Amino acid sequence: MNRLLAKLAITAMTGSLLFSNPIVAQILPPQKKAAHVEITKGPELESAVSYMAIVRWTTANPRGDDEHYGIVNYGTDPEDLSQTAKGHIRLNRAHPETIFRVRLVDLKPQTTYYYKVTSEDSAGQSDGVEGPISHFTTPPAGEVINNYPQPK
Amino acid sequence: MRQDTRTLVRAAFATVLGVLSVPLAGSTDARAQPVDLPANIPPYNPYPSGILPANLQSELDRVKREVETIEGRYFAEYQALISAGLPTPTGLPPTLFPSGYDANRILGGLLNFDLNMSPFRNVACSSCHMPYAGFSGPIPSVNLTMIAYPGSYRYRAGKRVAQRYTYSPRFPVLHLNQQKNFMLRGGTFTGGNFWDGRSTGYLLQSPDAEQAQHPPVDTQEHGLPDTACIALRISQAAYRPLFELVWGVDFDISWPSNVEQICSLPGGAFGSNATPIPLSAFDRTKANNIYDHWGQSISFLEASTDISPFTSKVDAAARGQYTPTAAEAASRTLFQGKGNCNSCHLDGFPTLNPGPNPGVAADTEPLFTCFGYSNLGLPLNPRDSIFYESKADFFGFNPNPDGMRFRDLGFGTFLRSGPGSAPNPNATNWLSFAPLTDGQMQTSTTRNVAMTPPQCPTTEAGQVDANGKPIPYFQKEFFHNGYIKSLKQLVHFYNTRDAFPLPGGPVTSGHCPPGTVEKVNCWPMPEVRNNIDMTVGNLQLTDAEENLLVIALQFQTDGFDPANPTVPGILYKNIDTFTGQCTITAPGVTASTQGNETIIPTFSLTQFPCATDVCGVAPLPSMPIP
Repeated sequence: MNRLLAKLAITAMTGSLLFSNPIVAQILPPQKKAAHVEITKGPELESAVSYMAIVRWTTANPRGDDEHYGIVNYGTDPEDLSQTAKGHIRLNRAHPETIFRVRLVDLKPQTTYYYKVTSEDSAGQSDGVEGPISHFTTPPAGEVINNYPQPK
Repeated sequence: MRQDTRTLVRAAFATVLGVLSVPLAGSTDARAQPVDLPANIPPYNPYPSGILPANLQSELDRVKREVETIEGRYFAEYQALISAGLPTPTGLPPTLFPSGYDANRILGGLLNFDLNMSPFRNVACSSCHMPYAGFSGPIPSVNLTMIAYPGSYRYRAGKRVAQRYTYSPRFPVLHLNQQKNFMLRGGTFTGGNFWDGRSTGYLLQSPDAEQAQHPPVDTQEHGLPDTACIALRISQAAYRPLFELVWGVDFDISWPSNVEQICSLPGGAFGSNATPIPLSAFDRTKANNIYDHWGQSISFLEASTDISPFTSKVDAAARGQYTPTAAEAASRTLFQGKGNCNSCHLDGFPTLNPGPNPGVAADTEPLFTCFGYSNLGLPLNPRDSIFYESKADFFGFNPNPDGMRFRDLGFGTFLRSGPGSAPNPNATNWLSFAPLTDGQMQTSTTRNVAMTPPQCPTTEAGQVDANGKPIPYFQKEFFHNGYIKSLKQLVHFYNTRDAFPLPGGPVTSGHCPPGTVEKVNCWPMPEVRNNIDMTVGNLQLTDAEENLLVIALQFQTDGFDPANPTVPGILYKNIDTFTGQCTITAPGVTASTQGNETIIPTFSLTQFPCATDVCGVAPLPSMPIP
């Protein structure tokens, strides 16, 4: 009986050591990655000026690591999408969908850029989604393309 | 003659003359001799006209009086503890029983509000962190102008907004939250204290306790020249017996005969010597142990209900003591939904599963932070005092040799152990991550971002009561560089940072194109364009939805009494100590534009590019930073 009590005491103590101390932190345990992720909207041009553009797309929530990156591989030749831009976003576990947005900087005016999108977590693990080859053209200097102005 | 001896002689001469001369009476001009500096130590004032607010010294004097009031209250609590019977070490290990918690909390209060913890005995920890501002900056005119608060050596100042210390003890030790497969590179930094994470907590296992060890010896803050000065000052304090009761430390240190002179001079007066007090290794260890306990007691205070009480409307509603209004309920829905605020400011209430999720420890007392870091893309704020502190002071110390070439890379600078930060104790493993973290600042808890003194019940200009009478407000500053001046602007920034692309090219603050209004429909370019967080920037919220999110933030203010629902913050300890003036909205000013009258043109980034010791340290930033 004493051996049993001792064993229970040790188990309880070990359990309490493993149980997170709420007074110290509220770090959420990791989520399981979604089995399958698809693009549900876009990719599309959110906005562009002669020197910069923002590309946007929506997927089902990829889950897993809360820290994620949208990735745009792009270039002026659809056969050579060797440039890469990344946009950091943080997943919202309660949202069924995730909006990815990526800035492309140091662009040239009146130039057509081809691009493909994908996403990954902070450890570089892909969400397994890849968008089609899309394109946009930057406007001339002094002009704006804004497909998502602030609503009134 | 060695430099430190020359300094002591010079300072001693100055002190003698100071005793003989009459200090100037309270002038409101910061170029006059401050009453809280020895008369023959001139103030440090390298600033162009207009950078310092005109009422700076009188406001600093006001805050000192308020700090002394609160110190007196904690001393009264100490006396009451004595009268009730001090706790005694009981059991094995010896534990202070039955009131060890009160003893440590009161000690933390006495330490936190003690003006003697500075060379000129004019700055306490709380001088920049007062209760009525959620333990952030207590001077409206500083919040509107110079951003950082003057330290003990008037008017040296730092570079960032004084963070709220409510709930700061809850941040875990800084770590790299890697995936289960440790062979993969990556992960995210989590925990730590300070905007740039430099208080890691790796030794005391508490970033908050270690945070309390930085300002006392920061040249721009308390400015003590040696950490041992804290041990000296505690040894002289009337509450020393309480410190010894709690920590049982040994103050029997063989101080050199000139220790008072040393601790009466600011850091920087002894060159790069970080230990100008010559102590034996044995005595240095004693002083270091006292310094650790200083941090631990202050952290205990900050974790206590004196500072972190969980008494907001959020908490009252969770306990069933308060029913949110329709607007408040709608605001919370936005916070969790379209606003997407709770992706970073975790609130434990997922919208997919209405009601608290008891399976997650956070849910019953949410902290509204993920403990992480992000680069929100704030513009460089040319009002920041640090840009102008590039001249040597009376002691030959130059706070910021980089001048206007300083850029705030936040966490990235810390990982590189860069200027204005601290040595990275895990550089061996973490230095390589610096380019991924340039520009990142801590994700603060949103709790108490809206806290103000009761007599100035809002942070927002342009509010009126039910009778149309203007509501006085308390001017605060937001984010790490104080660029944002109201919660309306804060929400608008999150909502529209990317929604107004500028066709003529990116601009810096103070250079928005004609026909636009900065912070309304023109956002200057980020100070650091690397690693911009794209979770925010174009949330597609309407103006009315933005206003609801302001309500959501106000909903998180501690001190709410369900029995007195219309009186803000009444339960929050020491919220009644503000003795300054509220601000009355000027004609034409709204929460969207408050503070815009203080915008100044940013200096040329081409003429003053990022300094080499900030932007040129390997591993280099992934993109050049202008």
